[in-house]
Amino acid sequence: MNLIYELMVTGILISACLAVYLEEAIYSLISLTTMLILTALLYSMNGAVYAALFQLMMGVGALIVFFLLSEELTEKSKDKNTPRQILLTIAISLILAVPVTLFSAEDLIASVSCDISLPSALWELRGVDVILQGLVILTVVLGASIILYKKEGRK
Amino acid sequence: MNYIVLSLILLAVGFYGLLSKRSFLKILVSIEIIATAATMNFVLLSSSLSKTLGEALLMLAFSTDTCVNAIILSLLVITAKRYGKRSISKLAELEKTRENKRRDDE
Repeated sequence: MNLIYELMVTGILISACLAVYLEEAIYSLISLTTMLILTALLYSMNGAVYAALFQLMMGVGALIVFFLLSEELTEKSKDKNTPRQILLTIAISLILAVPVTLFSAEDLIASVSCDISLPSALWELRGVDVILQGLVILTVVLGASIILYKKEGRK
Repeated sequence: MNYIVLSLILLAVGFYGLLSKRSFLKILVSIEIIATAATMNFVLLSSSLSKTLGEALLMLAFSTDTCVNAIILSLLVITAKRYGKRSISKLAELEKTRENKRRDDE
């Protein structure tokens, strides 16, 4: 079970890195699809079956639109990735997968704190997270409206 | 709790793509990776606590994510049809050229 989990995590990281790095839009989208499917599998392995189904449905819907757009709108990329560059990206993502499989944030937290576990602490404090996200969105909206107001003034 | 580390690394990969790539489609892919990293925390933390609220929050987060995708896609379609450009840097050059032209006219 642990090995399957580690393989899945490595697969997620490799496909995420390839999705960002590959120049060809279609290959990049195929990597993104792989990442979303593996994430859905990870959710279902952790017992969140509805979340996995929802992830698959939304992922498929969004990716069909992405595929159509990439076919219709994007130019064919002139500079293609060499196999050496792709292998280097895979090697980097394998290195990135090492801390995920070895490092556990739970051990780190347990050495300094008390009775409350990390998942429950994060879960209890999710309200703070929502407020902070609200603040970020408010700042972005204010910034955008100031820029637009200045542009209107210049005209 | 390796999920937090996984989510952090995915977030870093997404931010790298967002800052380094100039193509609209690559930016969209990076935003998708960042959204996956964020929603992963909801689902995996709540399932480790045997609570189902995380799955409900994931669905809300996905609906927001879909709105963001729709806005970026509409921007991509508008810029591709109006200017024939698909890269942010090319759009910025276009904006600079228009600004210079307006100054010259004044």
